[in-house]
Amino acid sequence: MAFQILLNVFLAFVWMFLTVSFNGASFLIGYLIGLLIIFILRRFFHSRFYLIPLFVIVKLVFIFLKELLLSNIAVVKVVLNRSLDIRPGIFALPTELEKDWEVTVLSLLITLTPGTLVLDVSEDGRTLYIHALDVPDVKETIKSIKESFEKTIMEVSQ
Amino acid sequence: MNNVILRTITAVVVPIIALFSIQLFFAGHYYPGGGFIGGLMAAGAIVLLLIVFDIRTVRKMIPINYQWLIGTGLLFAVGTSAGSLLFNVPFLTHAYRYVHLPLLGKTSLHTAVLFDTGVYLVVVGITLVIIETIGESD
Repeated sequence: MAFQILLNVFLAFVWMFLTVSFNGASFLIGYLIGLLIIFILRRFFHSRFYLIPLFVIVKLVFIFLKELLLSNIAVVKVVLNRSLDIRPGIFALPTELEKDWEVTVLSLLITLTPGTLVLDVSEDGRTLYIHALDVPDVKETIKSIKESFEKTIMEVSQ
Repeated sequence: MNNVILRTITAVVVPIIALFSIQLFFAGHYYPGGGFIGGLMAAGAIVLLLIVFDIRTVRKMIPINYQWLIGTGLLFAVGTSAGSLLFNVPFLTHAYRYVHLPLLGKTSLHTAVLFDTGVYLVVVGITLVIIETIGESD
């Protein structure tokens, strides 16, 4: 992905040198032409055409914003509730993500959605220890949320 | 203790701090900033590395003896100041000139930048000498 972006910038510069016009507009034109060329030559690269991971990253951002809103509303409900019937607890979440940055992004997304907080990552990086505000009933839904986060992060890097 | 999150975030953040330090250094003539705060920022980036890794690893990454850095910075400052004596003007008189450089266009070159480089190096050196000395004394 990074290689394709670099190649695209390089092609844009080549376009600028060919047309002998060094400004932002000609860079943009060259970038779009380079995008088309890379799309035509997409079979020669090891990774996918790089716009697909970029769209997945945008999708991840929107999923995160949605989760942030929903879980904040849930926490507000807990705070304003008269009876404090929450059961906090810590549970382990096995993850299939391998790379450092994947585990980091997953942990940050889990921490930034209220109600859950990553406490520790195991030595082999395959288990996240998560503190949850309300364990019994939310555990399954939280698992499903994590599946959505984890699945999207996997889509970025496959 | 697996500090995978800290390590990854450090790898992302340290380049940004380093760029900000250099930007502060060069902004010092027209905007807030300058050698002192830029040097402290650069030292801060290295301190962040020291927090995440141990002293030996950071020494391997940045193989600089910081005591020499202090000396180099002082030489820069004294040399820039004493250079004015060669032109029969008082000590610490600075010269500046607008030069047309290729690619950059009209640029003002000022000898105060060299003096500020000295300040920058001294600040980085002294900060890291203090921190590493405290860190190594068991």
